[in-house]
This record gives sequence, structure tokens and C-alpha cells, in this order.
Amino acid sequence: MMKAVVAGYVRSPFTPAKRGDLAAVRPDDLATQVVKALVAQTGVKPEDVEDVLVGCAFPEGEQGLNLARLVGLMAGLPQSAGAATINRFCGSSMTSVHTAAGSIALGAGEVFVCAGVESMTRVPMMGFNPLPNPTFAAEMPSAYMGMGETAEAVAARWQVSRDEQEAFAVRSHQRAAAARAAGRFDAELVPIQGRKGKVEADGCIRPETTAESLAALKPAFDANGVVTAGTSSPLTDGAAAVLVCSEDYAKAHDLPVLAAIKAVAICGCDPEVMGIGPVGATRKALARAGLTVGQLDVVELNEAFASQAIACMRDLQLSPDQVNIDGGAIALGHPLGATGARIVGKAAALLAREKGRYALATQCIGGGQGIATVLEAV
Amino acid sequence: MAEIRKVVVVGAGVMGAGIAAHVANAGVPVTLLDIVPAGAPNRNALAEGAVERMLKADPAPLMTKAAAKLITPGNTEDHFDAAVGDADWIVEVVTERLDVKQALYRRIEAARKAGSVVSSNTSTLPLASLVDGLPESFARDFLITHFFNPPRYMRLLEIVVGPLTRPEAVDTVSRFADMSLGKSLVRCKDRPGFIANRLGVFWLQAAVVEAFARGLAIEDVDAVIGKPMGIPKTGVFGLLDLVGLDLMPHVNASLAAALPKDDPFHAFDRPLPVVQKLIADGYTGRKGKGGFYRLNREAGKRKEALDLATGEFRPARKAEVAAVAESGRSLGKLLDHDSPLGAYAWRVMGATLAYAAALVGDAADDIEAIDEAMRLGYNWRWGPFELIDRLGADWLIARLERDGQAVPEMLRLAAGRSFYRVENGRRQALGRDGQYHDIVRPDGVLLLEDIKRAGTPVIKNGSAALWDLGDGVACFEFTGKMNTIDQQVLDLLVKTVRRVKKDFKALVIYNEGHNFSVGANLGLALFACNIAAWTEVEASVTQGQEAYRALKYAPFPVVGAPSGLALGGGCEILLHCDAIQAHAETYMGLVEVGVGLIPAWGGCKEMLHRWSTLGRLPKGPMPAVAKVFETVSTATVAKSAAEAKELLYLRPTDGITMNRNRLLADAKARALAMAESYVPPEPPIYVLPGPSAETAMAMAVAGFRRLGKATPYDEVVSGALARILSGGDTDVTETLDEEAVLALEREQLVRLVRQPGTLARLESMLMTGKPLRN
Repeated sequence: MMKAVVAGYVRSPFTPAKRGDLAAVRPDDLATQVVKALVAQTGVKPEDVEDVLVGCAFPEGEQGLNLARLVGLMAGLPQSAGAATINRFCGSSMTSVHTAAGSIALGAGEVFVCAGVESMTRVPMMGFNPLPNPTFAAEMPSAYMGMGETAEAVAARWQVSRDEQEAFAVRSHQRAAAARAAGRFDAELVPIQGRKGKVEADGCIRPETTAESLAALKPAFDANGVVTAGTSSPLTDGAAAVLVCSEDYAKAHDLPVLAAIKAVAICGCDPEVMGIGPVGATRKALARAGLTVGQLDVVELNEAFASQAIACMRDLQLSPDQVNIDGGAIALGHPLGATGARIVGKAAALLAREKGRYALATQCIGGGQGIATVLEAV
Repeated sequence: MAEIRKVVVVGAGVMGAGIAAHVANAGVPVTLLDIVPAGAPNRNALAEGAVERMLKADPAPLMTKAAAKLITPGNTEDHFDAAVGDADWIVEVVTERLDVKQALYRRIEAARKAGSVVSSNTSTLPLASLVDGLPESFARDFLITHFFNPPRYMRLLEIVVGPLTRPEAVDTVSRFADMSLGKSLVRCKDRPGFIANRLGVFWLQAAVVEAFARGLAIEDVDAVIGKPMGIPKTGVFGLLDLVGLDLMPHVNASLAAALPKDDPFHAFDRPLPVVQKLIADGYTGRKGKGGFYRLNREAGKRKEALDLATGEFRPARKAEVAAVAESGRSLGKLLDHDSPLGAYAWRVMGATLAYAAALVGDAADDIEAIDEAMRLGYNWRWGPFELIDRLGADWLIARLERDGQAVPEMLRLAAGRSFYRVENGRRQALGRDGQYHDIVRPDGVLLLEDIKRAGTPVIKNGSAALWDLGDGVACFEFTGKMNTIDQQVLDLLVKTVRRVKKDFKALVIYNEGHNFSVGANLGLALFACNIAAWTEVEASVTQGQEAYRALKYAPFPVVGAPSGLALGGGCEILLHCDAIQAHAETYMGLVEVGVGLIPAWGGCKEMLHRWSTLGRLPKGPMPAVAKVFETVSTATVAKSAAEAKELLYLRPTDGITMNRNRLLADAKARALAMAESYVPPEPPIYVLPGPSAETAMAMAVAGFRRLGKATPYDEVVSGALARILSGGDTDVTETLDEEAVLALEREQLVRLVRQPGTLARLESMLMTGKPLRN
């Protein structure tokens, strides 16, 4: 079976929806610039690309049609490179990586561009025409439950206090701010041409966040709840991409390999507590890899909400010292379709940087799923 | 005549910013300049700060947020020459210092282009001093335009013209102020305080000084010198809190310095230590910690009033004034009432009315100018001469004489008669020559008040009337309390459609109330519900739907011409008109959910059609439905006609008239233009998403409920609305006609009126005037 490796990771700056500098950038243009940069940076031969797999959680409007095909063509990839848009909500672009790894194992291609994008400014969450199935919505309301409500449900069921969430959010901002200040994002960031010039910097990080400033916020989803805008990931515009190829191809072409893909998993859960999804998926992926949590050097666990991230860390017995060391989505932002590619790429890059052996990237998915990827140093 | 296409306002204080905002409301680009603050990193900080405040202020100086884009903030160093050189009208609104103003005028004169006009918003400096020593070329293009605060809402504009001012310059600015800014212009002589403040400040000062002297309770004062006289209920002390106590000493000092020694103002101009202390302590009025009234937050937001005798605050109490209670509607009885407050009322108003009469020939040439200035500048319902007519000129003369007070010449002239009279259906005013003169409306001003005075209605009943505006245009007027709509209005509407079809070319729906209509008569609705007259309720819904539909499909054009509130059923009738000519200050909204109802006279149907056809929305079955749901479920009221366009209560093609007095003439002209080749509209076909949309909206409301933004009963009412807007049990593969949507409106309204939650909301609105949040 052919081994798949991550041989490149870039992302756009992440900026807040509506008021950020990427608000006026079309998502296809945004993804195209990131894909172009990935190809340029890795030095992969465009004609070797088998498929362009673009994750997107609300693929309509400017993100509609087969977004991936358009991005491939706009990025100047040869017509022979195929393209598929992939939707698994927040797990979309991590699924791109899994699909690529599976295809490589199957011998169905050697080089895959695995990207993800979301303009939460230009295509609203829920899309332009939310039309739930009335009969099923009555039978199983949780299937359509809003994400904020699931974060409250997790906080209640796992007894995650507001204070704890706020401390977590503060740390996320501090880590992201420190990483930015130390230039630790420089290698992954691709400047994006916007309507008013180049967008070069992340826009969601708030180094000034304190426990006191967060304590003053009102609950965002439930008047009696414990989840606020400050302990939720913000609506974000952004794109990310990783290059996934066979180990042989990477060696033959001297590509800068960050990590190998060791194991992957998907695991469904109760939609009402979708935030706990990473627990099941991580356990499955670790079992497949023959590893234990203790063997992980680096963990990227998406911070959709502080409540679910804390609950997952507790259940998996992960230490804050190993999780999201450059900050997470609460500080950086969470452009739904792009996050999977970001955290796989980030975990791979951190593994190389921190000289660790094993890394985990995992996230929760609306509707009740978790997805996980285990990486190994090469 | 030159057109004003670009304006510069120099001075970004409250008035300057307000004037700039209102120029932007008129759709005209305006540059707002102020000085560069010492040491400020941002050289435009003052003007930019003013624009930021505009966007937050309430009442809003801007009619839409988008209007702010027409304002370019700048500073008087970097942008002065370019902006002034490009402007057709330069408005000076800087500090009231002659040297500062004149220095600025010299800079303006050097920079401005030929043919431009310069005006000052001064309220205290005479025009003669302002132009003294300046080149004649400047004086020829200079006048005073005195706005009232807030400039968007106060309709008065006082104009003072110098002997050298070019008539064309006056015409250019007057025309712009009238047509584009919607102001009523009152020509004043170049005398201190012009008209409104000369009299208004006298009145306020007299009222305050006398109240102190007599140790009266300020609640009582405001109850006497208020509503019984057609003066806004803020009265005296409430008004001072509103305009700012700190303004008083400045205005008084400048008037005292400028007025001749024998002016009656001096008798009331004396220092008030209690007021000085209030100002020093930060009690400058509502903009400060409070004024004569304050909210004591330490005592649980208790309203407190100042005790004039002690200078201490005490809990406010409800005014109970025997002089008011026992006088009925008779102002004379009130001023003659044998009580401290009766004596006080006479002292203040007797002096004020006499002073007004003394101002004829001094501040103004005629009584109408003074009455208009007080009506529009101080929101008095009646001007002083109208008040004198209510008292009787002879009564006032006799009372003044009895008190040994001087009787002004103009008042003597009215002895044995009145200041105003109606002759052959025309209103006339007494002139200084002792003759009555017709009050002539300017071109383009048509008032229903004049039509009504001169004739009788075509048809009428207890709640509405139809008038003949001439040229084949009829005017439908609501006449009930608050212009509510009841069965009689609907009856007459149906008769009107038949009558207009037979005898007229077009119909205008218009009235001259404060509000176009506050909607259906809720008292009747509540009564019907209380006696469980469900059949009658449904019949009245059907009647309204049919009457409005008859209007929409009538073989003649119907133009709605609203001003003020147009709510609920009053908004729905406008939604059925072929076109609207709206006064800029029109506040439309479908607010039914506030009383536990939903729009059922075709409001849902019309809004769905508008958003489906005119809305700039993404494709698909849901966006139009969601937009209407959002607007109606939150009872959104447009805060201007311009905002009503954003909400599609008005169509993009509907017209907006800035000047209230021009509304009817504009609407009539529009109706006549449409009558030329009028074809009634085609009935719309609806494609609605059905139950999926209803589910989506229910889910959204449940989210608001959890967040505490929607109440339990909101969920019920929103549910009924969602049912209508989604099209009931329809499917996107099917089409619905108007009748099907109307049937859903009826079905849901009849369902809601049977709910105790709706009854509770109706009762609360009728008893307290406030919506119940059950």
C-alpha cells in the first residue's frame, strides 16, 4: 500500500466576516490564490496533479457549481487535473485529505491538491435558502440544531463552566498573538490580493482579550447559557491548502515533506452534542495507528467552541500543553470549509518544527460527527 | 436661477453637523469642515467625529445610514479652498463671535466661486455687523439662514436678508431650503433674536422667573404652560431640559445686550442663582446629568423634580392643577382662574401675547410670520395671534388695561374683531394697515385645510370624507380619532371607488393629521373579541381585504400621500396604492404583531410580492419570504420615507416630498400624470416554498426565544405569520393567486384573535399605549 505524505501547507490570512479585509474577496478568487501559492511553494509539477479536492461547507452562490473545478482552472492547473468539491461541513477539507490519502493507497493517483475555503461573508451559514424537511425536523429537531445550541448542550452535559471556557479562550488568543509576534505564521501565510490592496495579516486575533473582558459578554445563544461570542469561533473568511502526495513521488521530486499520514477516521455522534465528535474519531484513528494519546507530540483540535474543545480534551485526556500551541479557531477564526486543511497542514508543520513523532488533527462537525487524522514524522 | 449642487458647511458642532446631515438627506453632496484640533493626529477629527455621532444619534439626523456617504468630512486648513471653491452654497455655523466669523468670511470670499451664496446660521449677531467692513461683493451674496435644532425635524428656517443681498441669491437658497430641505421660510427683520427666539426666549424667561418668584411646583407649571395652550407637553422646564440649561445665560445676555433699553424683555432678565448652581453642578439638561428634572438612578431610576424654593431635588409628582381642570377648553377661564396657577398663567401668557403684538413692525412685518415662527420653531399648536383670537382681542385688551399694562398698537388694531378671519372660504390676516389680506399659498402648495374651508365633501361619513381637489382629482381623507381605520372608513372607500370611477380621473389618499394613520381601530377589535363575535371579526377582515383590493384594481390611478406614522392597516392601504408620494418624514410599518395580530388586509400578500419582484436578493424560494418575515415579525417601522424604500414599504419608483406643505400638490400632480394612460396592475402569481419555509422560520424564532429576544407569545404570533408567508401547505411546484394568500391571512388572524395572548396584547395597547411582551 502506497504511503501518503503532506508535502506543503499554506493558508490565506483569516479575517472576520463582513468587517474583515477579505469580505470583499470572492471565495473562488481566495481559494485560487492559495492553490497557486501552494503549487509555487512546493514546486510540484502542475501536470502531475491528479485531482483538486476543495472543501466547502455551503457550496452555493459564489461557492457554487463545482467550485473545485473552477479553482483548478483559475489557478492555471492543466485541464487534465480533475476536481471535486467536498462537503462535510467543518470536516470538508480534512475529508479532502482523507480522500487523497485513500486514492494514493489505492494507486489512483500520486499528487492531490487538498484545499478548503469559506467566505462566511458572501455565503451565509445555512445558505441562502434554508429549507429543512418539516416532517424530519419534527421527528428529530437535533438534526437541524444550531451550532451554538449544541455548544450549550455540551457545556451542560460535560459540566464545562463559563470561567473555564473563558480561560481557554484567553489562552487561545495569547498563543495566537505570541505565534504571530514571533513570526511563526509567516511560512504558512499567503498574501491575498483584495479589492483595496494586499491582505497580509490575520484579522480575528485579539491579544487584548482578558478573562474580565470576556466575563462582561452576554450569552450568545441562550439567555441562561454559558457560551458567548468570546468563547465561540468567529464567523470568518479564509482558505487553506495542503499538498498530499505519495511518499515515492515526494522523494523522486525532492518535495519538502512535513509528515506522513498514518491513520484516519470518521465517527458519528448525537447531533445535539456534535462538539464531542472528535472523541470517537480520535479513538478510532489512534487504534488504527496502534497509538495511544500519550504518544502524541502535537495536537490540533479545532476550537469551534471552547466548551466542546474542553470536553473533548477531558475525555481524551489531552493536556493543554500539547493542544493548539499556536492558538486555535477561537483566536484565528474558523472559515468552515478551510479549517480541515488548516489543522492538518498546521499539525504536520508543527510536527516538523517541534521535531515530534506523532501528531493528531481532529475536529467536530455539525449534524453530529467527528473526523481525525494521525500524522507521523518522516 | 442657480441650482445648489454642492454645499459646504463650516463648523461641525451640533448645528453644523445637523445641517450637513440634512443637506445629505436631500441627496446633495456636502463637505463638513472644522478646525484642526491642536496636536490631534487626525486632522479631520472634529468633522469625522461629528459624522460618527450622526450615525448613532437619536433622533437620527440622517434619514438613512447611506446618506452619510454624501458627507465629506475635512478640515479648514487642508480642504478649505478646494471645497469652498467648488460649492454653490457655503453655510457658516461657527462660534458666535464677530471677529471669528468675519475672519472666516474673508477666507470664504477669497476662495468661493462667482455666483455662490454664503449664509450664516447665527442666532444672535445682526446681519449688518456681520457684513460690516467686508467687500460689497460678499454682502451681495450673503444672508442669514437660521435653522432650529434638530435641523432635520424642525421645519422653521428664519431668513434675514441685507439691503445689499442679491434677490437671486435669496431665491436660490430659499428654493433649495423649501424644496430640497423641506423648510418653511419665515422672513425676519435684522433684529436681535429674529422672531422665534426673540419671542420664545421672552416667554421662557418670563415663565421661569415668575415660577421662581412664586415658588411653584415645576410639574404644575409644565401642566399649565403646556397642553392647555397647545404648547408641547414639555412645557417650560421640560423644554429647557431638552435644549440645555447652559444655553439660557448666553442667549439671555446676548438678547439683553442687543435689545433697546425700553424692551419689555429686560423686566424678566435677572440672574437665577439656583439655575447657575445647577449648571455649575453639571445639571445642564438631558445632555448632562439632568436639569430641572432628573432620573435618580440611585433611587431606582426615580423621576425627580427640582424644588424651586430649596434648589433640592424631590420625587416628581403628577400635576394636579385646578385652574386647568376647571377651565375645560376655555383658555380665558384658565387665565382668569382665581388661584396661584391661574394668576401665574395670566402673568406669563398675558405678557407673552402682548410682547408678540409689540413685535409686529419690529421683528416681523406681519402676524403670520410670528405665528408661523412659533408653530414651527417651538412646536406651538397655535401661534400667539391665533391664541389671542381664541381669547378674543377685546378680552386681552381689557385684561391688560385692568392690570395697568401697555396695550400694543397692533393689538389695539384688532379691537372689536379678530386677527384672522375667513371670507368667502379664504383665510385672511389683519395687516398693520388695519385691513385684512388674503393668506396666499406659494406656488406648489396645496392644503386640504384650504379646500375644506372653501367647500363641502363629495361624500362623507363619521370616519372619512372624499374631497374634490379640482382637475379631476379626488382626495380621500381619514377623519376618525388618530385617523384609525374602521368599518366606516372601509365603507366609504368602497363608495369612493365607485364615485371616482364615475366622476374623477384619479384619487389621492391624504390627510393633514399629525399621523397618516395609526392603523385599524383596536378598540372595536377588542370589543368584538370580548363578545366572541368571531363571524364579525372575520367579516371585517374580509371587508378590509376587499376594499383595499378594489382600490388596487380600480380603473383609475390611486396615489397615497402619507406623512407621519402609517402603521398597520394604515400602512397596508398604502401598499395597495399604484404609487406613493410620501413626505420625507413618513414612518411606515406593519406593526400588527405588537398587538398579537398579523397583517391581514393584504399586507403580507403585498410585501411578499414586492420582495419577490423588487428585492435585490439571492435566488431561490426563501430569501423574499425570510425578508418579509424578518421585517413584519419584528414590527419594523421605517424611520423615514427613504428608509421605507430600503424596507420596500415604498417602491423604488415612489416619490418623496421634503416639504410637508407641498405633499398634496405633488401627489395630485403624480396622480394626474398617471391618469393619462392608466392601466390597472396585473394580479401577481406567487410561488412559495410551503412547510419547509415555515419550519425554517420557526427554528429561527426558537433561537431568538432561547436568547430571550422573543417571548413565548411572540413564538405563537410569528408562527401564524410564518404560516402565511410560506404559503401554507403549498409546494414550490405549485402557484398561488392573491386570493389564496388572503385566505391564509384571514385564517391566521381569526385563529389569533381567539387566543388569550392576543387579547392581553390588545388590552395593554389600549390601556397603556405600550405593547405587552407576553
